[in-house]
Amino acid sequence: METTDNPKANWSWLINVLTDVQFWVPVVVLLVGVLLLRSMH
Amino acid sequence: MMTSTAQPLRSAEAQNASRSKALQLLGILSGFTAGAWLGAAEAPTKLVSVGISPIAISLIMVIGVFLARWSLPALILGTSSVRADVRRTPHLIIWAVLAGCLWAVANTLTIFAIRDIGLSIAFPLWNSNSLLGIFWGFLFFNELRQAGWRRWTGVLGGALVLCAGATLLAIASSTQGPAGHSLRGVWAALGAGVLWGTMYIPYRKAYLTGMNPLSFVTFFTFGEVGMMSALAVGYTGLAPLWQELLSARGVIFWLMLGGFIWVIGDLFQQYAAKYVGISRGIPLSNSNQLWGLLWGIFVFGELHGRSSSTYLQVVGGSLLMMLGVAAVAFSSASGEEQTRWKEAARREARRYGVARDYVEARMDGRRAADESAHARSIWDWLLVAAVSAIFVVFAGVARVPQMSLHAGPAALLIAALLLLLFICTLALWRTTRFN
Repeated sequence: METTDNPKANWSWLINVLTDVQFWVPVVVLLVGVLLLRSMH
Repeated sequence: MMTSTAQPLRSAEAQNASRSKALQLLGILSGFTAGAWLGAAEAPTKLVSVGISPIAISLIMVIGVFLARWSLPALILGTSSVRADVRRTPHLIIWAVLAGCLWAVANTLTIFAIRDIGLSIAFPLWNSNSLLGIFWGFLFFNELRQAGWRRWTGVLGGALVLCAGATLLAIASSTQGPAGHSLRGVWAALGAGVLWGTMYIPYRKAYLTGMNPLSFVTFFTFGEVGMMSALAVGYTGLAPLWQELLSARGVIFWLMLGGFIWVIGDLFQQYAAKYVGISRGIPLSNSNQLWGLLWGIFVFGELHGRSSSTYLQVVGGSLLMMLGVAAVAFSSASGEEQTRWKEAARREARRYGVARDYVEARMDGRRAADESAHARSIWDWLLVAAVSAIFVVFAGVARVPQMSLHAGPAALLIAALLLLLFICTLALWRTTRFN
């Protein structure tokens, strides 16, 4: 049986993502991209 | 006694150095193969000239991409390996979906760009994403840290030459755009470059944390399909979109095939990003610009009838960009720099609570000691069969687009693609077993 020694195997990984500064860079770029696309259309 | 302990240590160091060199070479080969396949995948978007909206084209391509992103991993390693990866690194699902959203918006922008300024000019502009990739790699993932002046010169010099080439092409496009919307086309191409350049943050994040590229792409594709469907319904409306898809059924196969080819290129790009980092992997895979140019000029006759000065600008700009790509590619990571990569990987492992031995083994292209071998199940074979059947059905109703194509150059390019596919797949299998 495969096991994981991941101590954060519950939903705390979601908090880790949301508090990771690096996560918000692509989010902002995505929003700008959607706006640019909207102006193209 | 000292000699007897020092010898095994030296032997282990030599083995590590040899392994590291093999992985770097593998990454470079993957990057070039990615360039060839990604370049070929853009050719079907030429169908934009037969009167289908860019949004519908992008949506159909993404459906092809979705099918490929599940069937290829199922065929190569089996979906059980995907499930095992997700249990260890669940946070990467969010990163993968986000990257997929970025890809979908960027891909749609490229279709506007192709329509407004043409494939051979738009290609190099959106390939400016490599500059952004170098920046993010340095800022977030310790790439080019302690790299030495020679590598810095190679990467920065290469980046400057890339910029010069892109500028030359932008000048050519500003007076020679095919549809009178050259400025809009330039913005679309550059916007796609920024989105794609930023998309490599999740890529590198995934591979520093140990996820297999084949697992990453299966979740990436939910972002692609979700975002693309939302864009298509939001901009076109459900009923008009459905009508457009029905009227486009004769070319659906070709566009889905374009998406499928793109996934093959992207898989190699993922392995390049894994083994040489994004600061080198992206410029390498951006050799797709040259392949796109070959398809555009020799197969579709794109520059036919243009003035010789435009021809010279486009070719000269593209060659400059290729020179920049080469300079970056030959500045491979030193031992000190790779130590800094490992520091970044340990930081990610601590942040997200991933086992260190798993991360280290995967970065080294191996399975971790506590990982079991994965096999393909009957479900994997059913998945592959279902996807194949879908392609066969759409091929049955496909019609050959009424376009002027040159068969000889197309056959040569296809032969080169298949040769690269064979060589790189074999190298990946022998060196990493696709880990």
